[in-house]
Amino acid sequence: MHAALYVSKTGLSAQDKQLSTIANNLANASTVGFKRDRAVFEDLLYQIQRQPGAQTTQETQLPSGLQLGVGARVVGTQKQFTEGSLQITEQSLDVAVDGRGFLPIQQADGTTAYTRNGQLHLNREGQIVTADGLLLQPTIAVPNNANTVTIGTDGTVTAKVVGEPEPQAIGNIQLVDFVNPAGLQAIGSNLFVQTGSSGEPIQGTPGENGLGQLKQGMLENSNVNIVEEMVNMITTQRAYEMNSKVVSTADQMLQYITQNL
Amino acid sequence: MGLNLAERASVENAVAACMSVLTTGSKPRRFNSNQLAGLYSWHRSCTFIVNGAKRQINASRCVDKALYIAMTGAKHNMRGQTSHANNLANSNTDGFKADFAQARSMPVYYGAGMPTRAYALAELGGTNFTSGTLNQTGRDLDIAIHGEGFIAVQGRDGQEAYTRAGSFEIDSQGILRTAGGLMVLGNGGPITVPPAQKVEFGEDGTINVHAQGQTPSALVQVDRIKLVKPDMSTVSKGPDGLFHVLSNPAGGILPADASVKVIGGSLENSNVNAVQELTGLLTLARQYEMHVKMMATVEKDSESAARLLQLNA
Repeated sequence: MHAALYVSKTGLSAQDKQLSTIANNLANASTVGFKRDRAVFEDLLYQIQRQPGAQTTQETQLPSGLQLGVGARVVGTQKQFTEGSLQITEQSLDVAVDGRGFLPIQQADGTTAYTRNGQLHLNREGQIVTADGLLLQPTIAVPNNANTVTIGTDGTVTAKVVGEPEPQAIGNIQLVDFVNPAGLQAIGSNLFVQTGSSGEPIQGTPGENGLGQLKQGMLENSNVNIVEEMVNMITTQRAYEMNSKVVSTADQMLQYITQNL
Repeated sequence: MGLNLAERASVENAVAACMSVLTTGSKPRRFNSNQLAGLYSWHRSCTFIVNGAKRQINASRCVDKALYIAMTGAKHNMRGQTSHANNLANSNTDGFKADFAQARSMPVYYGAGMPTRAYALAELGGTNFTSGTLNQTGRDLDIAIHGEGFIAVQGRDGQEAYTRAGSFEIDSQGILRTAGGLMVLGNGGPITVPPAQKVEFGEDGTINVHAQGQTPSALVQVDRIKLVKPDMSTVSKGPDGLFHVLSNPAGGILPADASVKVIGGSLENSNVNAVQELTGLLTLARQYEMHVKMMATVEKDSESAARLLQLNA
């Protein structure tokens, strides 16, 4: 059948995946700590129909051959770890990571996941948890008679307990970094898990060894750029239309030959 | 049908020869005189090929040749369209360069008569190396090449190849790779980037790293991306979609060229002109219809000729 049909099919499915990526980015335009994805395309293999420079006779050769590409594919999505803007919330348990680093979170199955979403809460035991109720690692418990909780830029958590003049240190928030954060696997709920391509987690104190500082009372907005996503959506839609035009043209050609011969 | 035995045999041989082109392994068949009359008109010129007889061929009777010529036209239209379809499928692929499809006429003249047998042959006239538009992404590991030049990468076959797609990643070993996973080459092979807070690409491809835990003033120069500027007439797109250099004394490896400029935080979009590709595709579709029309006309002519011969028999 007409090879252009299959080639444009790859184009259609690539644009389709691109649109899903854009849709997910736009849906998360106001998700705290969200990092946008970018679909990366590559051209597929080329099939050599006729080798350039092949001999046509003993003395002459073809000046150029015929090498047909078989379309496009999505090689993967890249997480873009550029920083989102910081938003002031005045909530004492909101922290933003200003720079590199992730907050380590203990998942329900005991394994560790990582997040940039610093919307923290307390559970009924007074422990610091995420909005989903997962424990921050290492666990920090706030005394139940605490008046205020202060999180320092280096992750020191202090609580001012009623009736005591001096605030008491109750724990340290640690940050974790990776050689290749783009290699982390996003598992939803703003969480990432370590993979073979992200490298081993490197734990450290906020503000040291290149890790970002913690900012209390602030949150990191999603790094999705609405304008950019909209422009990408337009180009994706038009590219999709053109590829479907190829399909309909090829279809008409096949219809024409079956009707006229 | 006044065919003598020798002529009858030559028609049957010719039919067998023609059939074997279409279905391999077919055996010579015997026909009755009515069938022969039809086949004779259809395969008349084939009998000359088989006999090797240098008889004058009346071009108007070479219906089968017209059919095959129209067929190659239609077939190569479809191939040309595949190339346009591939360009359109890659209209959003960063660093992609569109291919030109063109057709050449391949004359196959022999014997006496009208020199009418020119077959179509679709071919890629080359790659369009004009620059695509720049898309500013703001990502540290994106680079675009300003003007001419290529980024050297190690292809899947281990050989040095060239690309214009500058969307990089650093893997868990710290090796700089393209989005497709190919190693980017520096002055001395693959590039290893130390754990960095920020990576900056200089205009000449120098990689500056603000190492973790260091002050921003302590920028470290790590390596330099190998950028090359080949003679464009020697560059061709390989089956892997990367660019390769043909007929180069150093076995396809080019020296680094300091005059290539890169722009950090940007990517080069595909240089496919969608309007041009789409009109090219539609032009070919109309041409194809003309070829099909031609085939239908030839079929009709052949039927009329067979009818005439039947009346005379």
